[in-house]
Amino acid sequence: MGDETTPLSPAEARHLLRRTGFGAQKKDVDRILLLDKTRGRAADRLLNFRSTPFRPNGSEFPNAHNKWIKYLTIARSPLQEKLVLFWHDHFATAISKVADVGLMADQIQLLHERCKGNFKDLVKAINVNPAMMEFLDTVRNDKDVPNENYARELQELFTLGVDDTNGNPNYTQEDIVQIARAFTGWGYDRGKAVLDEGNHDFMADFPARGPKVIYQSTGGFGSGGRSFTVNGEGTAEIDTVIDIIFAHRDSNGRNTVARRTARRLLEYFAHPNPDTAVVDAVVAQSGFGSSPDSWDVGALVRAILVHDAFYETGAAAPFGAQTKKSVKWPIDYVVSTLRLLGMRLKGRDQYVDGGSFRAALDGLSDMGQVLLDPPSVFGWDWETSWISSAALLARYGFARDVTSARGHGTTAFRPERLIDLDLTDPAAIVDAVLGVLGIPDQLTDGEKTTLVNYLTENGTKAVDLHDGVKANGLFALVLQSPAYQLH
Amino acid sequence: MALTRRQFLKCTGAAAAGGLLGPGLFGNVFVQRALASTIGDRYLVVLFLDGGNDGLNTVAPTYFPPANPGFLRTAYQAARNTGVGGLRLSPDDLANTLIANDPNTNEPLAFHPGFYNPDTSSPAYQGLKKLYDLGKVAVIQGCGYPQYSLSHEQSRGIWQTANPLGVSAYSGAGWLGRYLKANYGPTNIPGVTLGDSVAPELRQTVTGVLAIQRLREFGFPYDDASDTDIPFKRDAFAHLYAAAGTGAGAQPSQIYLGDTGTATLTGSESYPPLNSLYLTDRKSFSDNYDALDTSTARALREIAKIIYGVKTNQPNVTARFFELRNGGYDTHSDQGAAATDGQHYALHSEVSNAIKVFYDDCAAMGVASKLCILVWSEFSRRIHQNDNGTDHGSQGPMFVIGGTVRGGVYGRHPNIDQAALDDDGNTVYTQSANGFRSTDIRDVYGTVLKHWLNMDPMVIKSSVLPLDPAPLDPAYYWRTENFDLKRPSDNLDLFA
Repeated sequence: MGDETTPLSPAEARHLLRRTGFGAQKKDVDRILLLDKTRGRAADRLLNFRSTPFRPNGSEFPNAHNKWIKYLTIARSPLQEKLVLFWHDHFATAISKVADVGLMADQIQLLHERCKGNFKDLVKAINVNPAMMEFLDTVRNDKDVPNENYARELQELFTLGVDDTNGNPNYTQEDIVQIARAFTGWGYDRGKAVLDEGNHDFMADFPARGPKVIYQSTGGFGSGGRSFTVNGEGTAEIDTVIDIIFAHRDSNGRNTVARRTARRLLEYFAHPNPDTAVVDAVVAQSGFGSSPDSWDVGALVRAILVHDAFYETGAAAPFGAQTKKSVKWPIDYVVSTLRLLGMRLKGRDQYVDGGSFRAALDGLSDMGQVLLDPPSVFGWDWETSWISSAALLARYGFARDVTSARGHGTTAFRPERLIDLDLTDPAAIVDAVLGVLGIPDQLTDGEKTTLVNYLTENGTKAVDLHDGVKANGLFALVLQSPAYQLH
Repeated sequence: MALTRRQFLKCTGAAAAGGLLGPGLFGNVFVQRALASTIGDRYLVVLFLDGGNDGLNTVAPTYFPPANPGFLRTAYQAARNTGVGGLRLSPDDLANTLIANDPNTNEPLAFHPGFYNPDTSSPAYQGLKKLYDLGKVAVIQGCGYPQYSLSHEQSRGIWQTANPLGVSAYSGAGWLGRYLKANYGPTNIPGVTLGDSVAPELRQTVTGVLAIQRLREFGFPYDDASDTDIPFKRDAFAHLYAAAGTGAGAQPSQIYLGDTGTATLTGSESYPPLNSLYLTDRKSFSDNYDALDTSTARALREIAKIIYGVKTNQPNVTARFFELRNGGYDTHSDQGAAATDGQHYALHSEVSNAIKVFYDDCAAMGVASKLCILVWSEFSRRIHQNDNGTDHGSQGPMFVIGGTVRGGVYGRHPNIDQAALDDDGNTVYTQSANGFRSTDIRDVYGTVLKHWLNMDPMVIKSSVLPLDPAPLDPAYYWRTENFDLKRPSDNLDLFA
C-alpha cells in the first residue's frame, strides 16, 4: 500500500506527467525525481497553479478553436488544461447549437477559473451560464410549457447519474418535471443571466401544480422528499435545487454526487471501471462531499494522484496483467506531440507542408474531437471509442504532417534540436527518439527491433540521420505506433 | 403506477436474468459453428436517426373531411396544436403521402410531407413515398422495448445492443456485432461505418469493421520524402500493429488497437481505389447525390461505391454491413410541422431524397434485391407537444427498405389517447393482446437475422437476442420467439 509519502520511480513520474499534462518531457521528469521525490509533493506542485482565466477569443469558431489549441501548446499549467478539458466534456456544450462563439468563450473562461475549485459552486454557475442556457434550452423553458432538457441532463450527466452503483435509479421523471419548473423564466441579456419573473412558475400562480417537491422515492430524504419552492428573487431557488442534489444519497446511503464525480475523475486520470472501494477511498481521503461546503475538486484530484490505483497504470512494457492503459484523447495526442517536438502551429492557410492550424482542426475533426463542438450533451465517448480506422488514419496523418513540416522556425520539425543526428547506432537512435517522446519504457524489445529494422532496412544499410528521411520517418512511426496511442 | 418507466427496472427481477447464459458462450467452438450463417451476396445498411425522431409526425394518423376524425386522429389533434409553433399536420399537408391504414384502428396513415419530393427536376423526385408506392418500404409501427428509457444514451445503447434488461451475457457487443463475431474472423473486414468511429451496433472485438469518412481520403498517409523508404515504413508499421496486444497480460484495448490498426492498413490499400472506379463507371449516378448536397446523400454514395466494389470483385473489398447516421432529431424546440423550412421537414426530406437516389443507384447496379436498409431512432417523442417542439418519448416507427421487402404497414399504431398515456405522457409498451400491442425491437432484429441473414432462430434466441425472462408479466414483457414479422393485410413475411 502506497500513500503520499511513497517515492516515485522514473516510470511512475513519466506516467504522472502523461496523465496530468501533455507528454513526459525529460526536464519535468527530472524535476519530479530530484525535487519532489514523492507522490504527495509531486501532486501538490502540479496542483499549485493559479487558475488563469484563459478565454478563447475569436470572432468565428475556427479562430476561437485555434486560439485554444495554441494556448494548450504553451500553457504553463498543463493540469489546469487537463481539468478544463474534463469539465468541457462533463458539461458538454456545442457551438453547433449555441451558435454564439462569444458565449462559448465565456463558458470556457468559467471552466478555467473554476476548474479546481468548489464543484457545487461550479454547477451553480453552470445553471446560469448563457451558453449552457442556450444549449439545453433553459432559454426556451416557459412556465406554461416547461422544457425538461436541462433538468434531465443536470441530474443524469452533471451530478447524479441515472443509476447508482447498485443499479437503483437516482431520480424519477417526476423529479425532472419538478426541477424544470424551477428553471422556468431564466434567460440572459448581454451575457448575464436574468430571470423573467413573468415567465417563472411561481407556486402562487399555479396552485394546482402544488409546491415543488423532489426525491420522494430516492435520495434518502424520506417519503416527503425535499421541497424547494423559494419565492424570492435571483438564483435562490435554483441554487437550492443544487444544494438538494448535492445532499442526495444513493441506496448505500453515500453521497451520490461525490461518488459519481470521483468515479468520473478516476476514469479520466487513472483508468476505466475503477473499483467502488477505490472510489470510496478517494472520496474519504479528500473529504469530497463530507459537508455541504466541502466540494474541493483540487483535494479530490490530489487524493487520486496519490492513490495506488493511479499508479497501477504506470508500469513499463510489456505491462503486467494488472496494469491498465488508457487511450489518449485526440486533443492529448495532438498537443502532446507538438509540445514534445517543441513545435508551434502555423497560420491558417499554410496547409501544404503540415503543422498548420487548419491541419490541426481538420485532423482533430477526423480523430473525433473538435473542441467547443462535442458531438452531443454526453460529450465524447472515451477509451476504445476513440479507436477506429478513420480516427487512426487521422492520427497517422497528423504524425506525417508535423514530421514533414519544413523550415527553420518553431513551426518546423527540426530533429537536429531533439536528437543527435550524428548517432549511427540504430538501437541508441531508437532509445533517443523514445526518450524525446516520453515513452522510453513503453515499447517491448520486439517493437524496438522493428524500429531498428526500419532504420537499417533489415540490416542492409548503415544509418545516416542526415539523409532527411530516416529521422523524420522514425519519429512519424513512433507517433503512429500502438504504444503512443495509449498512455 | 407507470410500469413502463425504466426507473423501476431493477426492482422487477431483471437482475436474475444475468444467469441465463454463461459469459463463455461465444468462446465455445461448437456454438460458433452452430452460429454460422450467411448474408450471402446481400447487403445490410443501418441508418440511425440520432436524437430521438418524432414518430407521431413521421407516420401520422389522418382523415378525410368532411368525415369525422377517427380515434387516433382525434387524439393526435388534441396533442398537436395549430397556429404559431403548432406541430399539427393537416389532412391537406398529408394528402400526397398517404400510405396504408393502421391495421388496428383502420384509420388512414401518412408519411410526413418531407418524405415526398414534389420537384420533378430532382433526381429524388417523389422521394421515399415513391419507393413506398413501388412496394419497397415497410413501415413498422410502435417499435420499442420494455421499461423504456428517456435518456438518449441509455435508450440508444438499448437499441444498439438489443438488450433492454441488461442481461450480462450479451453486454459489450452490438446486436449485429454478436452476429459478426459468430461468423467472421480477425482477418475479415465485413463491415464499414460511415463516420469517425465504429457504430455501436457493429461493435465487437473479433473482426474488422472500418470507419471511413471519405474513401478518397482513406489512403495511408506516407510522407513524400522518399519513395524507396515507403515499403520499409509500411513493413515496420505492419509489424508494430501485428504485435500489439499479443504479449502476456495484454488488455482488450491493446488487442483492439492492434486489430484495428492492421485492418486500417489493409483497408487503406484496398478501399481508396473504389472512389475513382465508381466515379469513372457511374458518373451520372454520382451527380445525383451531388444534386442533393446533403451529408446523408454523401454518406450513402460512399456505401454505393463500396457495394460497387464488392459487386465487381475488387481485391480485399468484402463489406456487407454498413452503418450511417443523420443527426438533429432532438427537436425540443422549433420542430416545425409541414412548412418546408422547418427542422423536421428538412430532416425527413434529407433522408427521403438520399434513400431514393441510393436505391435507384443500387437498382441500376442490379443489387436492389440484395439490399436491406433499416432505419431507426433511439426513441420517439412526447405525444403532447411543448411550446413549439417535443420532449423525449417512447415507441416509434422503423422503416425497412429494399427490393425484396414487402412494403406496407406492419405493427400497430401506439395508443396516443390521453387516457392511455402513462404518468409521463408517453405511450405504453405492451405485449398484451389488445389492439395496440407494441412491436418489440427484437422481433424486428430477429426477423432480419432469420430471414435476411439466414440465422437459425434457435441460435438467434440462444445467443444473439435475449428474451425477457419468465416469469415477468406477459402484458409488459416480450416472450415472442418466432421472428416472423408478417404483413397484416395478407400474413406474408417481411422479406419476399
